[in-house]
Amino acid sequence: MSSEPIERRVSYLGDRLRASRCQSCGKEYFEVRDYCSNCGRKSYGKMENIDLFYDKGKLELCTFINEPTNKFMKLSSFVYGIVSFHNGKIRVPARLTDQLISDAKDIDLTSLEGREVVPRFRRRYSVGKSEVVPTISLAFTLADEYYPHQEYKVTAPNKEYQLPGVVGYGVYTSKFRIKEAGLERAVPFVDEDSITAAVEAGKLALIHSGVDSKLIGKVYVGSESNPYSVKPIASKVAQVLKLGEEDGDVQGVDAVDTEFACKAATSMFKDACALVSYPRSGIKYAMAIGADNSQAAPRGCPGGELDTFVGYGGAAFIFGKNDVIAQVEGWYSCTSDTPDFWRRDGEAFPMHGGRFTGDPAYFKHVRKSTCKLMERFNLKANDIAYFVAHQPNPQFPARIAKELGFKDEQYLPGIMINKFGNTYSGCVPLSLASILDIAKPEELILVGSYGSGAGSDAYLLRTTNQLVDKRKQQKANVKFQAENPFIEYVDYQTYRRFKLGM
Amino acid sequence: MLNRPAIVAVGRTKFGEHYGKEPEKLIEEAWLAASNECNLERKDLEACYMSDCFLPITNKLGLEEGFLSELTELHVPMEVTRSFSAALLTACHAIQAGVYNTVLVGGIEKMTDRWDKIRDDLMLLEDPWSYFAGGTPESNHELLLRAYIKKYHITGENLEKLNVALAYVSVKNHANATKNKNAQYQRPITVEQVLHARKTAHKPLGMFDFAPISDGASALILTSEATAKKRCDKPVSVLACSSATDYLNYSAREDLSRFVAAEIAMKNALQTAKIALSDMQVIEISDQSTMMELASLEDLGFIEPGTAWKGIYESYQNNRNFYEINGKQIFVNTDGGLKADGNPFGATGGAQIFEVYRQLRGEAGTRQVKFVDGSPKKGCVSEFEGFGTKAYVTILGEKKS
Repeated sequence: MSSEPIERRVSYLGDRLRASRCQSCGKEYFEVRDYCSNCGRKSYGKMENIDLFYDKGKLELCTFINEPTNKFMKLSSFVYGIVSFHNGKIRVPARLTDQLISDAKDIDLTSLEGREVVPRFRRRYSVGKSEVVPTISLAFTLADEYYPHQEYKVTAPNKEYQLPGVVGYGVYTSKFRIKEAGLERAVPFVDEDSITAAVEAGKLALIHSGVDSKLIGKVYVGSESNPYSVKPIASKVAQVLKLGEEDGDVQGVDAVDTEFACKAATSMFKDACALVSYPRSGIKYAMAIGADNSQAAPRGCPGGELDTFVGYGGAAFIFGKNDVIAQVEGWYSCTSDTPDFWRRDGEAFPMHGGRFTGDPAYFKHVRKSTCKLMERFNLKANDIAYFVAHQPNPQFPARIAKELGFKDEQYLPGIMINKFGNTYSGCVPLSLASILDIAKPEELILVGSYGSGAGSDAYLLRTTNQLVDKRKQQKANVKFQAENPFIEYVDYQTYRRFKLGM
Repeated sequence: MLNRPAIVAVGRTKFGEHYGKEPEKLIEEAWLAASNECNLERKDLEACYMSDCFLPITNKLGLEEGFLSELTELHVPMEVTRSFSAALLTACHAIQAGVYNTVLVGGIEKMTDRWDKIRDDLMLLEDPWSYFAGGTPESNHELLLRAYIKKYHITGENLEKLNVALAYVSVKNHANATKNKNAQYQRPITVEQVLHARKTAHKPLGMFDFAPISDGASALILTSEATAKKRCDKPVSVLACSSATDYLNYSAREDLSRFVAAEIAMKNALQTAKIALSDMQVIEISDQSTMMELASLEDLGFIEPGTAWKGIYESYQNNRNFYEINGKQIFVNTDGGLKADGNPFGATGGAQIFEVYRQLRGEAGTRQVKFVDGSPKKGCVSEFEGFGTKAYVTILGEKKS
């Protein structure tokens, strides 16, 4: 759709599945309405705005589409139908997503009818390269499969901490993987990209934290695969997740995208901490998201060596001082102008200068930041329970961990590249999440991120007692996603096609 | 009814692909045929009502009245609607109000000029949210079928019969079209072909269940009854025209197994015409899909809801080209219906009227329906805009004495 106003209106309703309910008769509508057509004028101003974003629906009817309209051609074939919410009070048209249908014979329409489904935030359809990226949440997946339905329950905070820290987190990866040379890597479905991953990760972080989305005062999204050169992912995240106070169709939140290769998100952890600690900011919580549909040139082309390692996914962290699960004790960042990896504006894939990779880039910076931080806190490797480093490949994090004196059991649990691939800006956040999934209270975690170009942020985190309590608010933790029985494996051609997207 | 309107002549083009012709050429052909039939001079026309659904999109023609004025060299009032039934309804109102005595009603569509994008256009106009969710022009028909099956708990052997009945709708319509020289598809098909197309597509409905994309035009001359007698010896009266509406978004409707607008339109039309549904002998139904012919038979009131498939299945078993309802024969889509005659949206309703007009006047040639007392006396046309969003019913017949 080449009209931005129409696009804006469709995605405003469709991304969040905004709806309204008549407070007199209870009738519900899939749209924002000022009055109820049942009750007429007397309902004017008495409509309640609701949405279906966190709800579970039921697939009422479905059919199979194998000759889609032009804009859906890249999906080739899919199941389409009608989903009802609230016991049939609202019905919406629906596309089942995350289905790679190789043989239509495998699709049993009648057995799909009646199944519970969850709305998923996805690209709507294909448009020209210069147009606004259309999105929608009228894409659904089965609630008892890869992506379980999770309720979003806002909980009042119990305890305030002296230091700010992680209040909740969410990790999002797709259902698809490519398995090559001992490595499993997450592959986006054709309707996914870094925007959809950022929104999904943020949604899961809100669910895990129990924080009221309107209390989030700032959101940072770090990515190097934003489909736009100019237009933030963070604005989509803020609008869809209703971050900050909602006033009409504007959210009272500061939203910004950051970029520093793979450390775009981790760099902002300290800013988030500082912001929630500053007494006059008025900001109780800040969200930092790292999400990437990690780019790599095809194998055999310049830059193609990355193609063996890139993944897809993201993680969102909410920082605050209430109900903290891991306090941020301190950090150390370092930077130098080292061109080890870059992507020029307008280029589809990054270049990877072999000369600087390794010692002059990754190792030098990660070593510097982590050593400085350990020195500052007078810590030795065995004082620390877990070490998490950036993972451009399986070897680098292991080498730096050993060099710093960490044993297998300290760093191996945080190595995720062999399960999801290198998710670029999402890599360290996702790996840190995998540690928070398993850590015990009062343990120290050392994090060393890395961003080409080049720099590293080291963080020291100390887990709290509340870490364990909050785990029940998260069904889809990292292990769940890595070992999910509904994972589907794709071949190299499909992987390249999916990464290219709609 | 005051100033009851009557049709004194009809005309149409062949439906199909007319890639060599401008849209103007098609309407010219249709309206010349109609005016020849009743010896009408252009100067006698007091107004024109034309319908097209897509010309602004398919041919980037925005002001259709302009080319019609140029074509006819007339400066009379002209209005454009989206469907032929809507144009006819508006024209009837004008005649009833005594504003005009003689008007031209025409319809035109040129869908194949945009064959590669027409399905997107169609779906976006018909039901935008369904389009945004990935729906195709075919998918909602299949959901209608699924809703019907679920509502009436049709399973096992009955489900097989329903599927055969739907196939037979297409077979019957194709057979009828073999006798219609204007039809887009003038070749017979078999039940096996219909079923096979569904099977290979792994879909509830297949290629042979849907009306095609077509070009074509149709036209008629409408006058007041008093004027009609001067124009032709056997005018066909418009006994009623009615329409009803429903939501754009199919999924938001109360009942997904039927079109409530069709039911309302028919009830109102019968009331206006002051006749019984059982008087209807030839019916033109908007079979955009075979499922819609089945659903319409019920929505319009001809068959008890949930049972139309049984009646159709009986016709299949006895190889009849009519449906027998309560011991009465009703002939549906004798011209081949939208499925085989073609479906150039704005002109489709005109072809349906054309057929009923011919049947009532006993001019339908080899496809003429005959009863013991001769040609059928009354018939009706049901047409839709969108997927059940607007329903029109037009009842035609002899003036009730």
